[in-house]
Amino acid sequence: MSKVVGIDLGTTNSLVAYVENGRPVVIREKSGDALVPSVVSAAEDGTIYVGREAQRRLLTDAGRTVYSVKRFMGRGLDDVKHEARLLPFKVSGESAGVVRIGLGEREFTPPEISAFVLRELKRRAEEHFAALGVVDFEVDRAVITVPAYFNDAQRTATRDAGRIAGLEVLRIINEPTAASLAYGLDKRHTGVIAVYDLGGGTFDISILRVEDGVFQVLSTNGDTHLGGDDMDLLLVEKVLAEIPGDGRPQSGEFIQEVRKAVIQAKHDLSERDATEIRVGTYRRQLTRGELDAMIRPLVERTLAPCLQALADAGLQSSQIDEVVLVGGATRVPLVRQLVGDLFGRTPHSELNPDEVVALGAAVQADILVTGNREMLLLDVTPLSLGIETMGGVVSKIILRNSTIPATGSEMFTTGVDNQTAVDVHVLQGERELVADNRSLARFKLRGIPPMPAGMPRVQVQFQIDANGILSVTAAELRTSIEQTIEVKPSYGLTDEEVERMLLDSFEHAEADFAARLLIEARNEAETVITATEKTLRAPEFAAIAQTELAAGEQQKIESVLGGLKMVLGSPDRETIQKWTHALNDATRHLAEVVMNRSVQAALSGKSVDSM
Amino acid sequence: MSSTSTPTVQICRTCGGGAPVDVHFCPQCTKILTLGRQGDYFSFLGVPRKLNLDVADLEQRFRALSRQFHPDYFYNATPAERRASLERSSYLNDAYRTLRQPLTRVEYLLSLEGMDRQRAEREGEAETGNKVPPALLEEVFALNEELDTVREQRAAGAPAEQWKSRLQAAREPIERKRAAHEADLEGLFARWDEVVDRGAEDERRQVLHALRERMLERNYIHNLLAGIERELGQ
Repeated sequence: MSKVVGIDLGTTNSLVAYVENGRPVVIREKSGDALVPSVVSAAEDGTIYVGREAQRRLLTDAGRTVYSVKRFMGRGLDDVKHEARLLPFKVSGESAGVVRIGLGEREFTPPEISAFVLRELKRRAEEHFAALGVVDFEVDRAVITVPAYFNDAQRTATRDAGRIAGLEVLRIINEPTAASLAYGLDKRHTGVIAVYDLGGGTFDISILRVEDGVFQVLSTNGDTHLGGDDMDLLLVEKVLAEIPGDGRPQSGEFIQEVRKAVIQAKHDLSERDATEIRVGTYRRQLTRGELDAMIRPLVERTLAPCLQALADAGLQSSQIDEVVLVGGATRVPLVRQLVGDLFGRTPHSELNPDEVVALGAAVQADILVTGNREMLLLDVTPLSLGIETMGGVVSKIILRNSTIPATGSEMFTTGVDNQTAVDVHVLQGERELVADNRSLARFKLRGIPPMPAGMPRVQVQFQIDANGILSVTAAELRTSIEQTIEVKPSYGLTDEEVERMLLDSFEHAEADFAARLLIEARNEAETVITATEKTLRAPEFAAIAQTELAAGEQQKIESVLGGLKMVLGSPDRETIQKWTHALNDATRHLAEVVMNRSVQAALSGKSVDSM
Repeated sequence: MSSTSTPTVQICRTCGGGAPVDVHFCPQCTKILTLGRQGDYFSFLGVPRKLNLDVADLEQRFRALSRQFHPDYFYNATPAERRASLERSSYLNDAYRTLRQPLTRVEYLLSLEGMDRQRAEREGEAETGNKVPPALLEEVFALNEELDTVREQRAAGAPAEQWKSRLQAAREPIERKRAAHEADLEGLFARWDEVVDRGAEDERRQVLHALRERMLERNYIHNLLAGIERELGQ
């Protein structure tokens, strides 16, 4: 049977995990790297790069490279205009519709960009299973995580991304809840836990009661636009302001170089008290104190949602038994300190905060396909669901923090005689007025039997499923006639659009395949280059060259090495491979010599020991 | 009793066998049963139709039932079973959420017994509109006078402490009324449970009417206090 996986589709990084012999494990590359940067880049020839390679291209071709696309999922242009101007890629679209993102010469929706990342994870998992000798190594089903505070449109966009990537999305689950599942595996305890999840772009707080293996979310809150990215942005702006410019705007590539440097500095300051930011000739000392002062307002923005979540759960912070930290940004010492202060206890961070969500997603995927009943996740809907009523006011039908699946219903009638259709506007949010809430969908209730005004009794049933995604049905109660409902998502794709995007992705599959082969060829070439350079730089090389190498052998190696380095950036895979083979051939004798010497050294060392 | 006329048997859509209304799985074929229109939140959770419920027991039942029919456990089942699992889980969640809190519990009971506000409004019972409940006339009159004074003071540029302390003082009698009401409601809760235990059909309506009146007054008091809060926030 084909395999199922759990996927953490992050703002900054994504990763994939699965359950093996009852334990969740993260799938890594040979290098041990589990994280696939959520970055997608298009070369001039249309080749699409994903992950590390795309991240490298941010420094050389920023305008053709897209990152942090999760911030755009399920959102309209008006929502994201203010932040789009700071990004190197083009963001467009209708003012109240799905955002379009320019990637090279083409335009994609956020779910399509995310699908590139998902396909890369799928491929990585399939390679992993194939290498393990699994017969049916295809990965076609997955549980994908989303921030708990994602609304219906953002969840639907994530599910669409999965479908476009050729995955059946078994379930959309919330990141903090997934993390709690991963933590709950080791300790079969009972109690109330708070999961504080500060990722690259989103913040969530969830309060759960764990008892008898049931993980029941009591409340959740958050901010889908707050994370480590915002810290980076503050630092980038500070550095750019300090670098003397010539009045012209900095290039996208330069800004990316600054971004890379400040991220490195931020990471350093999680372990040290001071570090240096280096960009070109620019040098700057940065202390942890300075960083803390800069980011404190951001971190403090997470506290109000925490207090609201506690209030909604009907609990005091002293009633929380354990606090768990999730997300890369929780490595920042100031975050740990403020969270510790708020809850009055040291937060847990035993599990890698980058990996714990994917592990939990894998556990949930396993529960779904195996029917394993040891654990059960009971999550809630983060936002209230309502409909527009007279005067632009929202009437709430399903309140926030209701355990899902949940239902709600509302009775509609007609305003004029023989009216056969009624318009319904569905919204999500906590505010009173329609304009202050998120528009989810508009639909027309049709087929109402002609009757005097006010006579029809149309019951509209709203169902939020276990994914937190809404569906709507309706029936006229006097005649028991089921209504047809055409839901037009306000910020989403129609089924037809998703279907077409899936087909499009097949068309490009061949090009994507070629791109992957090219990356593999480059990676192999880089490995050989690194190994050769290391040998040439080694202290004992001079002695080897004198005694063991033939005349001109060193020159030959150096010239082939130079040639391979020259063609490394070329889009022609075969040329790269040809030069890689040439370097392998040229260094074969040298490699044997080095090997022999190390064997002899080992042997002589051994004989010395045994004497 | 209104529930005596409702059906007590449901039909299993998988095997066609009959099953009691309050069971969730077919006794014959063991498949999950489609959620019918019969039954209510109390019977679904297997608790009596009372107002003082043991919340810990309710929570235990909620968890146990969740483990029986959550959609997670029906992923590989037939579409009909998956549908039934989704419907039953949704109903369970709605039921638990409603019965867990005393106020939503009593409101649900009133609607179940045909005494909810919407129905009363449809049936044209005048007392349910925005009219001041008679029991609160005195307090509402006094409060409105105070509010007028406060607004005048504010308009005249009086210092905030002055009108705020007036408002705080005006809140006290309303708060006292609220406390008295809570005690009243508790007493009615106990009385209802006792009526149910005795099976005293003739007293049911009487207690329900009293409950509804108290609930309307309670909502009114709640709105008055919210109004004072709004004024304080000015």
